[in-house]
Amino acid sequence: MEAASVTGAPSRRRSEAVREFISRYGLIAILLILPVVYGIQDLSDDGNLNRLGNNLVEGLSNGAILALIALGYTLVYGIIELINFAHGEVFMLGSLAAAALYTPFGLTPDTSTGGLVLGLTAILILAMLTSASLNVMIERVAYRPLRAAPKLAPLITAVGMSFVLQNVGILWIGASQVAIPDLLGSQKHLIEIWGVTVTRGHVLAIAVTIPLVFLLTSFVARSRLGKAMRATAQDPEAARLMGINVDTTISLTFLLGGLMAGAAGLISALYQTSIWYFQGFSAGLYAFTAAVMGGIGNIRGAVLGGFIIGIIQGISDNRIGNDWTPAIVFVYLVIIMVFRPQGLIGEETREAG
Amino acid sequence: MSRVAQLRHHPRTPIAIGVLGAIAVALFPLFRPPLDGLTNDAILALAFVVMALGLNLVVGFAGLLDLGYVAFYAFGLMVTGWWASDFYSSVNDEKGIHVGTSDFVSNLPGIHLNFLLLIIGAIVICAVAGIVIGLPTLRLRGDYIAIVTLAFGEIIGRVFANGDEITIFGDNKLSNGRQSISPIDQINLPVFGEFDSALNLRPYYWTVFALVLVVLFVNFRLRDSRLGRAWIALREDEVAAASMGVPLVKTKLLSYAAGGAFGGISGAFLGPFYTSINANQFQFGFSIFVLAMVILGGLGSIWGVVLGAVALSFVNYWLIPDVLDGEFVRDKLDSLGLDFSFTEVTFGVFGFLLVLMMVLRPEGLLPERRRQMELTTPGEGGLEEPGEAKVFEARV
Amino acid sequence: MRVRWLAVLSCLFAAFALAMAACGDDDDESVSGGGDGGGGGISGDTLTIYSSLPLQGTSKGQSEAVINGEKLALKEVGGKVGKYTIKYVSLDDSTAQNPGTADEGQTAQNARKAVQDETTIFYLGEFNSGGTKVSLPILNKANIPQISPSNTYVGLTTDAPGSEPGEPDKYYPAQKRTYARIVPTDTIQGAALATIMKEDGCKSVHIFNDKTTYGAGLAKNVETAAKDVGLTVEGNDGTDKNAPNYRSLASKINADCFVGSGVTGENYVQVFKDVAAANPTVKLYGPDGVAEEAFTNPAKGGIPADVGARTKITVATLGLEEFKKRNNAQAEKFFTDYEKEYGVAQPDPYAIYGYETMALALATLEAVGDKANDRKAVYTQLLTNTKDRESALGVYSIDENGDTTLTDYGLYTIKDGLPTFTKVIKAQAG
Repeated sequence: MEAASVTGAPSRRRSEAVREFISRYGLIAILLILPVVYGIQDLSDDGNLNRLGNNLVEGLSNGAILALIALGYTLVYGIIELINFAHGEVFMLGSLAAAALYTPFGLTPDTSTGGLVLGLTAILILAMLTSASLNVMIERVAYRPLRAAPKLAPLITAVGMSFVLQNVGILWIGASQVAIPDLLGSQKHLIEIWGVTVTRGHVLAIAVTIPLVFLLTSFVARSRLGKAMRATAQDPEAARLMGINVDTTISLTFLLGGLMAGAAGLISALYQTSIWYFQGFSAGLYAFTAAVMGGIGNIRGAVLGGFIIGIIQGISDNRIGNDWTPAIVFVYLVIIMVFRPQGLIGEETREAG
Repeated sequence: MSRVAQLRHHPRTPIAIGVLGAIAVALFPLFRPPLDGLTNDAILALAFVVMALGLNLVVGFAGLLDLGYVAFYAFGLMVTGWWASDFYSSVNDEKGIHVGTSDFVSNLPGIHLNFLLLIIGAIVICAVAGIVIGLPTLRLRGDYIAIVTLAFGEIIGRVFANGDEITIFGDNKLSNGRQSISPIDQINLPVFGEFDSALNLRPYYWTVFALVLVVLFVNFRLRDSRLGRAWIALREDEVAAASMGVPLVKTKLLSYAAGGAFGGISGAFLGPFYTSINANQFQFGFSIFVLAMVILGGLGSIWGVVLGAVALSFVNYWLIPDVLDGEFVRDKLDSLGLDFSFTEVTFGVFGFLLVLMMVLRPEGLLPERRRQMELTTPGEGGLEEPGEAKVFEARV
Repeated sequence: MRVRWLAVLSCLFAAFALAMAACGDDDDESVSGGGDGGGGGISGDTLTIYSSLPLQGTSKGQSEAVINGEKLALKEVGGKVGKYTIKYVSLDDSTAQNPGTADEGQTAQNARKAVQDETTIFYLGEFNSGGTKVSLPILNKANIPQISPSNTYVGLTTDAPGSEPGEPDKYYPAQKRTYARIVPTDTIQGAALATIMKEDGCKSVHIFNDKTTYGAGLAKNVETAAKDVGLTVEGNDGTDKNAPNYRSLASKINADCFVGSGVTGENYVQVFKDVAAANPTVKLYGPDGVAEEAFTNPAKGGIPADVGARTKITVATLGLEEFKKRNNAQAEKFFTDYEKEYGVAQPDPYAIYGYETMALALATLEAVGDKANDRKAVYTQLLTNTKDRESALGVYSIDENGDTTLTDYGLYTIKDGLPTFTKVIKAQAG
């Protein structure tokens, strides 16, 4: 089916373009249903869009965390076409590691701002490194030996690793959610813009994510290693022929994904003020949905997708109830997969169409 | 040739061993007390055999990675919750609807259908569900099928877990949400009467054993049938299969429907066995549990899957809670000064098992011969890669 | 090939049918006490008391307190009643996959284990009302007397408001009562919460429930009771244990008072945290499901101190000073002995529940004397003759439904991370 779009009569190309147009804008339309419907409801109920605005702000912050995790999924899928099922657990363990470092660094809600900034920066780096090394280790142990095997094999090992890591989480902090000190007073209101409350937690999430995404994008776009990554993603054989060490490049990809996940882990710990062995599973699936929504293999797509899923989550939590949110997000996932597997800004791949 | 060697090579020997083995399995509960814990675990193992055989149809035969098998289990259980309990107690002016039920049950409000009707209902509903789940995956390959089926598994689990907020046909709830529906009617068979799982587990054992036999029979017939060969062709190389005239859509949907139906049968049996069902258990972990059985046994290998199901079932329900966490081991651990509970690592053990199997022996314990050749010969076609046409023997 | 298959199958079905036929009538063997008044008693001089509690997850602390209380009561009688030696077995009704609450499959197995043991004379459990729904029918059929230290769900014993149609009869398939509990039902807890909210000056209340048997049931009771005392109920929303946070849900709250009807294990620490942060002036109330250190102590993963200062909890037991005021010698003895045995001066509120559960069981056995090995005699004694019993919880009787006549609820506040008794709530049961 891909071949048809490259060669073929102009009429066929036009119908392809039409199909592409419909599916992309159709998807956007479906995504807009929730905000528009509830926006209208708000206008008729309250006369303003404050509630929707609050949902959006909440959603953007959640989305920032998801975007960071989604980056990990999309980078790995782009380079070896594998869904790294264990990535959610890498995020979770980053979160657990960050929370465990509060006490050694002597951070409490009463620590001075300067102390907090220093301490948290250090913890950020440590959490990122923990997740990064974990991700690299997983690749070496579970995926590299199976590179030549049929696709089913590494997918199953990924799921297996996910379970092993969840169990590590259970052994570390037990099977229930554990509340951790609210270092930043993450729910304290900072400012009100147009009737919408923005809390410290919201600002934190966005403030940490944007620079990281920038750094990652410029690294992949400008640096030599980034170029190697893109080359390997495009064609591993050719990359090898050009002298790129494919194995190292793949490990680097996992490293970068892990760094992002670790950062997301710290933000999550500060924002939610609780940790749980199971948080990686749900966050992982949402983040994967986000990566697919944006276009798997596409970095900007992952970030875009993350924010979109975050917003859907925010609206759904408040309007429909947070017990329904997973079902709603997954319905969106199915819709994307069926009608536009290449996501909003991705390209068609072999897996779909 | 010596007598023993003669026997070993006799074509009827496997059959004889099989029959003897089956009789031994059938008679096993007679040597245990009626309410025995081991019989309980064996019943669960056999129920999981049915489920694993169902998943084997989808993943093993047809090569479609289904990570949402819990959906069929959920439908099977919910069928018993809807039609074998007093959940819909307001039906028929609180007098209830009863079809083929025992005297005791005939006086209870709610919808009560005979167990055999439940099985049929579960088969129908799960087959339809399978088709609905399969439809979106028709154009997708590999990983994406896994994700979509996983999503469906979660959606259905969630819908049932929140089902107390949804009403159908008036005031009736879809499910009892996170609270359990209980009690579910005991199994009531035409000749054998009504069972009582509070007093005697043996009839349950024999019922599930009979179900296993039927399901095994169906599996063997399917595998050697046209449809079975179509599935295997689909698994090996979809494009080649299509060009050989295999109707892709119908074949794929039939695999989901058939695989799902088995899950429904198992669920419909487990409802009365558990006597109380709860939507909390419809989690992704369950799908992985069943998948691990199929992988451990050998994808596509019927006897392998039976072995895998029994093995993992016993590991989960007997080895870890009763043996490794039992008094003997605990005393030993205490004497070493360790306060460690093996039940805490059940998850991790399954995950580790999956990783180990795929790295060391991906073809499983009792592999299907064709799969073994595939996975151990380097560079050969697998699930995704288009391979060259090979000539294989008709018998796998 | 086809003929072979048919032959094999017919052999197997023949074996199946023969086996069924041969063994169909073995039902009544080796299950002692099965059927009405079957066979009198247990042979031998050892009687077993089983306890079934969730030992994994957040309930671990509470369950251990119950077990310690039970063991203490058993130790006080020297492990013997009359000529019988009592063996105590503690079972876990939770599983690794489902910690912090009663897992249904596991609970059924525990109940069957007790049934299969011929020497079982008492089953102390479950902890969670949802678990008892599973074990009670099984134990009822086997005539095993059952006492729960903590079930409060109304529908287990009566059809009062808060229960579902068909309850309680569907838990008693043998059509006789074998179950009792030493804590008042949630009708009373709902009234207690409404009373204290009214006293504190609330005008409206918003309820969250964890959607379990206990939480949802209690929420309904609170709704009814609140309306009875004139409070406006702004909403009764279910929460999902798996949600990452409840901020969006918490921002819906408009009332001046909040009731979090759930157990710690359903993520109610996070619920309270988020509600407190989103609504800085709302007063917070919790039921006995959160009356444990895992909820109250920030050092153990509980709610932070500033949220704890705004929270009040209702529990169906009173503090030591109150017992002293009432001249309850058993209570004083309990607190003293507990501290001596376990080194804890302020035990978890549930410890005394465990203690009284075992004490009640042992007293019942003592009252029937030599017939302590006869299950029917024991549960009859429990449900018809437990009158004006003087115990560590106060003086009470067990009515014909299995409910206690005690209606005292204690108001607990959080001091130094522990639930601390503050005063008695006199509630009118609606």
